[in-house]
Amino acid sequence: MKYIIGFFFIGAITFAQTDTIHLLDEVKLYGNFSPQINSGYQVQILSDSIINNHQQSLGNLLQNQANLYFKQNGNRMVSSISLRGSGASHTGVYWNGIAINSSLDGQTDFNTFSANGYNQIEIRKGGGGILFGSGAVGGAINLRDKIIFKDKFQTQINLGLASYDTQKGLVRSQYSNQKIYAKIVVEGNKSANDYPYLGTDIVNENGAFKNYHIKSVLGYKINQNNQLQFFATLSDNDRNLSRTLTSPSNSKLTNWQNRVLLNWKNFGQAYNSSLKVAYLDEEYNYYSNKESSDYTFGKSKNIILKYDFKYFISSHISLHSGIENKYSTANGSSLLDKYRNDFEAYALLHQNPIEKLQYNISVRKGFSSVYKIPLIYAADLKYQLSSGLNIKANFSTNYRLPTYNDLFWNPGGNPDLLAENSKSGELGLGYYQNKLSINLTSYITKSKNLIQWRPETPTYWKPINIQDVMSYGLEFEFKTQQNFGKHMLELQSQYAYTVSKDNVLDKQLIYVPYHKATASLNYTYKDFTVNFNEQYNGKVFTTTSNTQTVNAYWLTNLEIYKSFLKQQLTVGVLVNNLFNTAYQSVSYRPMPNRNFEFNINYKF
Amino acid sequence: MKQFKLLTVLFLVAVLTYSCAEDDSPQLPKGDYEKGYFITNEGPFQNGSGTISFVDETGNVAQSIFKSVNHKDLGSVVQSMALHDDFAYIVVNNFHKVEVANRYTMKSIATIEGDDIKNPRHFVAIGNTGYISNWGDAGDATDDYIAVVDLATNTVTKKIPVGEGPEDMLVDGNKIYVNLQGGWSQNNKVVVIDTSSNTVASTLEVGDVPNSIVKDASGTIWVLCGGKPSFSGTETNGKLAQIENETVTMLDFGTAKHPNHLTLDGSNLYYDLNGKVFAMSTTATELPTAEVSGLDGSYYSLKANDGKLYATNAGDFQSEGSLKVYDLSDNSLKETVVTGLIPGSVVFQ
Repeated sequence: MKYIIGFFFIGAITFAQTDTIHLLDEVKLYGNFSPQINSGYQVQILSDSIINNHQQSLGNLLQNQANLYFKQNGNRMVSSISLRGSGASHTGVYWNGIAINSSLDGQTDFNTFSANGYNQIEIRKGGGGILFGSGAVGGAINLRDKIIFKDKFQTQINLGLASYDTQKGLVRSQYSNQKIYAKIVVEGNKSANDYPYLGTDIVNENGAFKNYHIKSVLGYKINQNNQLQFFATLSDNDRNLSRTLTSPSNSKLTNWQNRVLLNWKNFGQAYNSSLKVAYLDEEYNYYSNKESSDYTFGKSKNIILKYDFKYFISSHISLHSGIENKYSTANGSSLLDKYRNDFEAYALLHQNPIEKLQYNISVRKGFSSVYKIPLIYAADLKYQLSSGLNIKANFSTNYRLPTYNDLFWNPGGNPDLLAENSKSGELGLGYYQNKLSINLTSYITKSKNLIQWRPETPTYWKPINIQDVMSYGLEFEFKTQQNFGKHMLELQSQYAYTVSKDNVLDKQLIYVPYHKATASLNYTYKDFTVNFNEQYNGKVFTTTSNTQTVNAYWLTNLEIYKSFLKQQLTVGVLVNNLFNTAYQSVSYRPMPNRNFEFNINYKF
Repeated sequence: MKQFKLLTVLFLVAVLTYSCAEDDSPQLPKGDYEKGYFITNEGPFQNGSGTISFVDETGNVAQSIFKSVNHKDLGSVVQSMALHDDFAYIVVNNFHKVEVANRYTMKSIATIEGDDIKNPRHFVAIGNTGYISNWGDAGDATDDYIAVVDLATNTVTKKIPVGEGPEDMLVDGNKIYVNLQGGWSQNNKVVVIDTSSNTVASTLEVGDVPNSIVKDASGTIWVLCGGKPSFSGTETNGKLAQIENETVTMLDFGTAKHPNHLTLDGSNLYYDLNGKVFAMSTTATELPTAEVSGLDGSYYSLKANDGKLYATNAGDFQSEGSLKVYDLSDNSLKETVVTGLIPGSVVFQ
């Protein structure tokens, strides 16, 4: 508690200063995450400098920087998100605008994704079914590579050595001129991950992992009106699945993902369009005994064709529309060989009739070879109450389609499943000044027909459309930056209060914390930076009867960086879990004790 | 500190010796759990611990008794528990161990573990020898075995290899009958172990997936076979096998019927099928056609004892389960008890 009070205290002091500075949000958005067509929503941007100052998993980055809650099965093990009290498959994850949640289980394991190499990560909270399709109920996260045609040739090498025999290496090279853009990022991580469980004599046995990721981006400016973009990523994760306090483990999980995307952008006087073709390939192998050659697997291949068209009728009215077709196949040890085809179309009308007001109304409808996709609609608005003070509101209906596992798992898979559906409303107040921003948002979501696996007999389970959930909450965001000569101080803090209840049981869902807060204090003096990050994770229930919990915890991370040679060389020391707190994300799975990382970043 | 402990022990020994010497003194209670029954709760598969609940004569329920006595968790997936002599043998599947505790106090005494205990399922004993059915590596169909344990030292002295998925066991004189249920797969055998040589004496073929085994008063052994489920690709019928002098005769349940949880009360066999409980006399020659009304439910285990039927329900598997106790004289519900997570069996003192 004392740390948080400290932060708000420091915040209050900085708030009292009245120098003129500007906040970091100058980055321009585009596409379906653009603020223009998300008038009534909160969109948070993580910039290149935050993403890439050291190597970390996407899950760790979002947990530290965006106050998002993750349920981690132990350090670097399977990590799933719960955004606004929603389930693990209710946050849409996008890669340059293409949905990449697994076709098998509808989720993203945030520890198999590297955050590094992206230029920007966009987080849009709230229902986003119209623009983002199935699964964007709690929110949507986009990993974005930005292609900018200007003369630049830079290579960056990042090396990290950390506790538990952890080694990290990354090379990022970018070449661009007025016509061509090329970027390649190659990254590898390896760790024994054998940290001690505080307060016991057990260490995190069987926790070793290694992974590598290759990302490449190519851009070609054909002319003023046409651009070709190509994106590809390959990622290979090999993890032993660590033990728990009460059971040893000898199992292993490997995940392999390959994604390719070709995008043709065409701009006209009053329109712009984008035609995307993407191929996504995913596979996992699970070894119940890592020494055995026996494993179970699942894999899917997806071909996505997506066309977005934006037409600017006047300077005040624009029409945004798109169609998307996804063809996918899947098979696996417990999956029958199946395919499905989903076609969806959306339209959105944007208008700002007066300077102070902008709004959007939108609709989406889909057709599938396997189930019925509901018609959904939404409206949102932003109204400027006075200078620096605005009000945002939105209403949306959303859905999530059953996944391959839900439909075709053997045993239990239920081909008669319906799409889940939900309704969301949100009201927010924002205050912006050049040195300060404050946001306060409240929301409510009612979800129906949520798919749950229930025991059909004691021997096998079957998914059914059964659960109704009501979620509501408050989010608070505070951000300020102050300069004192060459000293710069930045403070960001976020707090979320989340209630998410099963309507039948009238109990909070398991692994949804009522309280979650993050505060980050960044101090910069010339070539020297100190970042102090504090997190609070409220208690979560582990039984649906809310009788058992994982305790709340505070977590403090400290990062210190010093640059040399005109910023070319940066040396960093990171201390995670500074106060050596014993904590768990999932019950009986202790997380690491105090640990260190030494990091060198060299650019030329 | 050590000296103090030693003194305490010496004092206690003195007191106990003294009390034992007094022949006419009243019988001291052996422990808090002397009279009543236990419920074993599997607990969450990995991220937690199984527990033992205890219901005393007056119906009072104590949860997590092993932990409250010993201040440690049993470990992940408490599969079963058996009582023998003064001891309780608690089989912890995913932790690959068997905890040995005093059956009256639950005080932990020893742990049977090591490389020779791998995915243990059930425990039975004859005299000073214990037998633990082990799957071995769950993904390996050929490494399953019965571990033979010297109960004086609680160490494994021999491994008797058997076919895939040894599960429930039954002691019959100096023989042990072992259901080869099949583990994650399906099997259709009952193995008979000769405990004088600790070798497999014979292997009997029964129906697919033998899931429970009982012996009636006349010495007939009954094995309920669930049949292969539809998801196996080759669904087979459930069967009730009757073993007399190692000769098997079977009754067929018919298409797509998969009975489970055979238990015996006096001369009546009970089992469940599709959410209904059926009763059959041990002298009957045909399967019953109608269920016993009043006993319906989706049960995770069934155990008859002394005119009552104890039926557990695991609910949503993510919260406390429940136990229903029925009086079998009129099939009325006598009691409902809240259990731990995933109540897998009821064990009587």
